[in-house]
Amino acid sequence: MNATLIRQRIDSALPRSARRRIALAWALGVFVVAAATAPAVGISRDESVYFNAAEGYAHFWLEAARAPSHAIDLADHYYSANREHPGLAKLLYGVTHAVLASGLGMTSHMEGFRFGAFLFAGLLAGFLSLWGYVLCGTWGGLLAPALFFLVPRNFYHAHPAALDLPETALWLATVYAYWRSLGASGDQPRTWRWAVATGLLFGATVATKHNGWFLLPLLFSCWIVSALPAALREGPRALPARFPLAFPAMLILGPLVLFATWPWLWRAPVPRFREYLAFHLHHENYAWAYLGTLMRDPPFPVSYPFVVTALTVPAAVLAAMVGGLAQAGSRIVRAVRGHAEGISLPTEVLLVANALFPICLIAWPTVPHFGGAKHWMPAMPFLALLGTRALVGAGRLLLPRHPGLVTGALAAVALAPAAWQVAHVHPFGTAAWNDLAGGAGGAASMGMQRQFWGDNMVAVLPALNDHAAPGARVWFQEATWLAVKQYQRDGRLRGDLVWASGPEDADISVWHHHLEFRDKEFRTWTELGTARPAAGVYLDEVPLVQVYARPGAWR
Amino acid sequence: MTERPDYLGPSYDLRTPTEVVPTRGDVLRERARRALWPPRPEAWAALFALAVVALGIHGLWFQATLPDRLPSAIDWKAAAALLARDARPGDVVALAPPWAERAREVLPDRLQQQPDVPLVTLALPRYTQALEDLPGVRRVWLVSLPGAPGASRTIARDLAERSSRIDGPQPLGALTVTRFDLKSPLQVLAFLPDRLGSATVRVGDEPCQPDLRGGLRCPGTPPRRVIREVREVDFLPRVCIRAEPGDPAGPLTLEFSEVLMGSVLRGHLGAPGDAGLGTSAPVTLGVKVDGQEIGLAEEPAHAPGWRAFQFNTDRFAGKRLAVAFEIRSPGPGRPDLCFDAFTTP
Repeated sequence: MNATLIRQRIDSALPRSARRRIALAWALGVFVVAAATAPAVGISRDESVYFNAAEGYAHFWLEAARAPSHAIDLADHYYSANREHPGLAKLLYGVTHAVLASGLGMTSHMEGFRFGAFLFAGLLAGFLSLWGYVLCGTWGGLLAPALFFLVPRNFYHAHPAALDLPETALWLATVYAYWRSLGASGDQPRTWRWAVATGLLFGATVATKHNGWFLLPLLFSCWIVSALPAALREGPRALPARFPLAFPAMLILGPLVLFATWPWLWRAPVPRFREYLAFHLHHENYAWAYLGTLMRDPPFPVSYPFVVTALTVPAAVLAAMVGGLAQAGSRIVRAVRGHAEGISLPTEVLLVANALFPICLIAWPTVPHFGGAKHWMPAMPFLALLGTRALVGAGRLLLPRHPGLVTGALAAVALAPAAWQVAHVHPFGTAAWNDLAGGAGGAASMGMQRQFWGDNMVAVLPALNDHAAPGARVWFQEATWLAVKQYQRDGRLRGDLVWASGPEDADISVWHHHLEFRDKEFRTWTELGTARPAAGVYLDEVPLVQVYARPGAWR
Repeated sequence: MTERPDYLGPSYDLRTPTEVVPTRGDVLRERARRALWPPRPEAWAALFALAVVALGIHGLWFQATLPDRLPSAIDWKAAAALLARDARPGDVVALAPPWAERAREVLPDRLQQQPDVPLVTLALPRYTQALEDLPGVRRVWLVSLPGAPGASRTIARDLAERSSRIDGPQPLGALTVTRFDLKSPLQVLAFLPDRLGSATVRVGDEPCQPDLRGGLRCPGTPPRRVIREVREVDFLPRVCIRAEPGDPAGPLTLEFSEVLMGSVLRGHLGAPGDAGLGTSAPVTLGVKVDGQEIGLAEEPAHAPGWRAFQFNTDRFAGKRLAVAFEIRSPGPGRPDLCFDAFTTP
């Protein structure tokens, strides 16, 4: 087979349009980079629980296929694990783990679970590129995923087999499908196919995490706002003719997908769904550091998600996003005033609403404020799209003959420091703060949350393996027992080290820096008889994890 | 009046105004005004591009300069060597910014010449006389990261205000080390948490017994524990006696014998860790010297903090006497109490 033939075969396998080729390249690129950089990222508290649940869910489907008559009993057994979140993403993690790690032995157990997460990251990159291309051409397709993934916290979330990035990817995909179903893109009429796709994707979103439910009222509000000018012009009778087919599709298919992919609901759908809702409506508040205070109970400051966004998104990328928001705002004003040539009001409203709603939702003073920027991550793809359009628009306005030169130069200046920061903080994404904050040191001086969920312990595993005395009892503190077992299962932590439940029965204490847990560190000093760490993990000199050991336990 | 005014009359014969010739400045101003207002899309685009470029360059500058602003392993070793050579009893190390706690891993934690004497590293946010007594401390070695993001001179200023002599700052790469000799060190005659092992402790009339882990086990359900610990109070480490208060009928009493008295008995109290958050009852600490009540300190409910108390003991100065603390709380939900106390000349 000669080279020309190979090239022809590759060409025929690739999509024809440039838009799809760029999207595919982005999806593959993000997938590969996430897979390559994932081993350095530790196992967080929630991810360890998802690993455990995912493995059980995969077992369930295998056993249910063998004995369908026992499916409901099996569901009660396997799906009782982590039943506060629906099952779709975890099922995918369980399947990729079963195939790649347990079946083929191609990956470690951790990487096997995470394979599903990389797929979601690739999906997100692909949809961002597609929409970016439709909005503003080749540069749009190239830049939109970059603006998203070169935010260090977003890049971090491309790795763990958790729920926030999958939820973000599916949220974006749902809104994209909805947008296509409206025919608002201008290049295609509205079709029922996109409406059905919207319903299915919405189902996948709510089958991944509860915040997907907000999509339905949000999209409906967007439609009402967009349809108002026409309704005022043509009278309310014009509205039913324009009613998006996507809404009935979401109402019907959404719950169906949730029910089909979450066997926990099968035995008692209504009571168990009510229990699930009640859990999230009355979610406990974890202590969280913010500007020198420790937030414990509501009301929480409204400023929180805005300030944290401003201090975690690299400054130049943030400027592009804010510029994009302002540009969209001005386009909406022009459209409402009737100077709307070339402006699609539904598109603008959709982009702005999705860029702001997830942030405003967390700003609500009684909504739990923890977890950092991940809880409003569904806003980030839309901010990336708006930022991309602003960069492309600036190029067209400032140098109409060679707009790509300006756009490319601006993108390079905005993305270079962001890429540098991503590389610099990896794998400590939960500890990433931008240059406006002064990085980790500046944020520590401001009294911001230093990290969360215990995954940064991964960086002291080599020291523990090298220096811990045989059979030493280790208090892993923020890392869960499940995470420790997973490290041991993958051979990343010595199997002879024993779980200790507190400093009193520990030979070694792995202290994760959390303001609310400082008492645990000081109790460690008392119990272990030393305030001198034996090892530590530091980001720009800021301690993230410090290891203490009793005399003789560290060799 | 019926006559019409004569419109051609002299009163309407105004002079032709002199022509105003715009200056070059006026012309430039007008051009600038027209270029900027009303703002055109190109102007907004230029402003946007300027912001992106400025912040992008700032980001590059920040990332490029950060490594040089932070200490290297060699810098830390130099600081460790300096302290190992020059530190002596009565010295402590302070950190600026306080989060630079790698220092505790790298710097010596004992004096090289006298290994039984600890060299404590403090990571406190402020060092004013009003906030920190620094009992027993004569000199403070301030290890600073002056170029680190978020660094400030607040701590150096606090220490300078209470010092008679300042030696430094001595640069060691990206670190600086400055020695502050306190002008009026708080001399300690007896630091009572260190003497808990010899104290008599009881709940009501029932004595507490020493346990295997260096504390005392007191009667009650569940049993109460009294121990010398380092605990977090208001997010900072405090060396203290941690005790669970008794009720009004049976207070927890700690009696220290043969305490060398000075003119003042001073101390602090607070709720350790999360203990103060969910409680509804205050805790009181009554202090007696030689059987005479000299004062009462209180830890209020719902107000965590490290509160100072001080009682005049002039009349007992120079004598070795018994000092007793009675800890009680009026209601249920009593938090643990963390307190220290020391006598000074």
